[in-house]
Amino acid sequence: MSQVKSVAGQDLRDMFSAAASWLEKSSADIDALNVFPVPDGDTGTNMMLTMRSTMDEAYRAPDHSAAGIAHAMARGALMGARGNSGVILSQIWRGLAQGLEDKEDFTAADLAAAFQKAAQIAYKGVSRPVEGTMLTVMKDAASATQAEVDAGNEDVISVLEATVNAAAESVANTPMLLKVLKDAGVVDAGGQGVYTILEGALRYLRGETELMRLRKPQIIVSELPHVATQPQSIAIDEVPYGYCTEFLLKGEKLDPEVIKKKLLRKGESLIVVGDDSAVRIHIHTLTPGNILQFAAKLGTMHQVSVRNMDEQHQDFLEMQKERMPATDTAVIAVAAGDGLSDVFGSLGAAAVVPGGQTMNPSTKDILQVVESTFSDKIIILPNNKNIIATANQVQSLTQKKIAVVPTRTIPQGVVALLAFDYEAEFNDNAEIMEKALSSVKTIEVTRSVRATKINGLKIKRKQPIGLLDGELIAVADTNIEVISQLLTRLDIGKAEVVTIYCGEDTEAAEAEQISTSITERYPQLQSELIRGGQPHYSYIISVE
Amino acid sequence: MAVKIVTDTLSDITEDLAKELGVTVVPLYVRFGEEIYRDRVEITSEEFYRRLVSESSLPSTTQPTPNDFYQVYETLAKETDEILVIVVSSKLSGTYQSATQAKEMMEGKCRIEVVDSLSVAMGMGLIVIAATDAVKAGANLDEATQLVRRAISRSHLTAYFDTLKYLAKGGRIGKASGLLGSLLSVKPILTVKEGEMAPLTRVRSVSAGIDYLCNYAAEFSNIEGMAVEHATTPDDADQLVERLGAIYPKERIYRAVISPVVGTYSGPNAMALTILEGEKK
Repeated sequence: MSQVKSVAGQDLRDMFSAAASWLEKSSADIDALNVFPVPDGDTGTNMMLTMRSTMDEAYRAPDHSAAGIAHAMARGALMGARGNSGVILSQIWRGLAQGLEDKEDFTAADLAAAFQKAAQIAYKGVSRPVEGTMLTVMKDAASATQAEVDAGNEDVISVLEATVNAAAESVANTPMLLKVLKDAGVVDAGGQGVYTILEGALRYLRGETELMRLRKPQIIVSELPHVATQPQSIAIDEVPYGYCTEFLLKGEKLDPEVIKKKLLRKGESLIVVGDDSAVRIHIHTLTPGNILQFAAKLGTMHQVSVRNMDEQHQDFLEMQKERMPATDTAVIAVAAGDGLSDVFGSLGAAAVVPGGQTMNPSTKDILQVVESTFSDKIIILPNNKNIIATANQVQSLTQKKIAVVPTRTIPQGVVALLAFDYEAEFNDNAEIMEKALSSVKTIEVTRSVRATKINGLKIKRKQPIGLLDGELIAVADTNIEVISQLLTRLDIGKAEVVTIYCGEDTEAAEAEQISTSITERYPQLQSELIRGGQPHYSYIISVE
Repeated sequence: MAVKIVTDTLSDITEDLAKELGVTVVPLYVRFGEEIYRDRVEITSEEFYRRLVSESSLPSTTQPTPNDFYQVYETLAKETDEILVIVVSSKLSGTYQSATQAKEMMEGKCRIEVVDSLSVAMGMGLIVIAATDAVKAGANLDEATQLVRRAISRSHLTAYFDTLKYLAKGGRIGKASGLLGSLLSVKPILTVKEGEMAPLTRVRSVSAGIDYLCNYAAEFSNIEGMAVEHATTPDDADQLVERLGAIYPKERIYRAVISPVVGTYSGPNAMALTILEGEKK
């Protein structure tokens, strides 16, 4: 691919315009990452609205130079910033504009310098910067950009790739830096927003506009156990949050630094950003009147918003209560692969412990998740024959009531979880779930690690092999053949549903082909293809 | 004078059965865009389900007006001085309010009791049937009302859903919301608990759903009444009835079609089984 050494101002506008639409698609998902009492009730929406205002102004730029566009964006962002995250985002654009000062177009080196400036200005706007937020993500992204340029890369696209990768890593790391995120099992919403914007810009430059129309940004999942559907335990905090007070102050000869100093002791989460003619102020205070009175002396106030955060918190608690499951029993599953983890989460598992073949979790790993899950009655699905014993150990180490349903494979884990009865008592439920195991057959396809002879089969190293309910009974030169051999061993006339989970390295085309061939061969079957993302096994297939 | 019984169309009591039982059924309304139909009076179930799946926008539903009930009360008051009104769960519809307001409009011209069935479909229908039996046996309004109140906790509705899309969009998902968002295609099995929808479990196919419903029924040792209803799949419902025949006389199982207003939330391919437990002796 040819290198892009310089990008014109117009492309700067178009790439962030595309990024804004990209962000818009995931704003609801980003909202869902919010953790109260982290300020800002709806980060995704706020960032999206800020980006709209940013890009509206970009289209009104007086010229098409990079500097002109960037300045217009900064102006638009300041005028339309919403919420904490929006204000910080506006600082990022302001820094970018300063970094691109006088540039007609920009090179990779210019971009690196501008990102550095953006991170720097973003930090400056916040009175007490917190790590593990969008500030950290912007900083990490900027350093990676600089490092790539310093390494001699001049291609804007591949430099931006390094930026985006670093941003992703940084987002995944936010729970390590900020405890509230870790407790809630989510990544920082604002950081996710910054990543999504950068990713959107990169995709545009790569010419993936068609794909952007069809797909939707991914929310980054951290290394922590994936807590999918269950809200974290609700701590009733007695400290009042006060009022989230936000407005745009217009006047002459305003000095954001002086205003910031004056307001510093008046509340929490203070942000003051802007220039001498317009300043945006965001503060959480118990006395919004005093803030407004003070500001009224300096100029005129616009877009004034004062919201009672205690009320918001109350609403939030109510909402969490409504989302509470109808039962007091929680199910924890062990699974490797983001896709499988999502499957268990979507089916109601309270948490997923990462682990599986060749990466068995320790008793302590499972215990930790058990303790952090807010129910006192927990059913564990080990989903691997080597993990059942480990899971059985947990009971002796916790006060909680534990039942282990001895699931030996992922498909067994799924049918057990599906059979969960919301009305049944704890012990009955474990029994009901265990009973369901006989209704599924598991096919696993992997590659032999060495040449061997087993069950009368001669197996070469790296040859595809197939297991039926844990027993190695098929070998062939292709995955397709292995699966076909295994299916003939099953009483498939009685089966109704086939679910194919593809592994992390499985080729999509091959998976499609397998799925289609199964439906052609057994038309009565309903077949479903799911990305499991599991390591080692190219396919895990459930036959019910 | 014998007590007259009134219910709404959500009881899924068909016109024929209503005539036989001497029950007056007040229709709710179902709306497609600008067009409003009286449930099962101006739109048949067949027509409804055809449009439900073919039209791009989903229908909505409205409770009967207080006046609808008032008209019914007025007419019945000419023949009786005691009316028992059994309506759909007040957590699922505002029908209870309309029926109560209409009672006030009557200003004591007739003794009226309005009971919230805390259920829907045949979950309420079997209660209505039990009430008519009691009235036939000579129960007065107070006795019949007491009987209905006791029957509410013995009526168990279990429903197989092909999808929760309609229930969720219609805002009636209740405690079953936890079943939404599955990455696998699953068929939820729900029940009605304390007047609203609640999850029971999930299956992956119709036949697994039928298995579940049969096993569910087999748990009861004292069955007073049973009903099976379907939205668009009479064959599956027949199969279910056939299987239930092993635990309860098939010919005594009431068959019904899920009425359009309920169908707005159940969607096509749904099936429901209701068991009215017998009273402990």
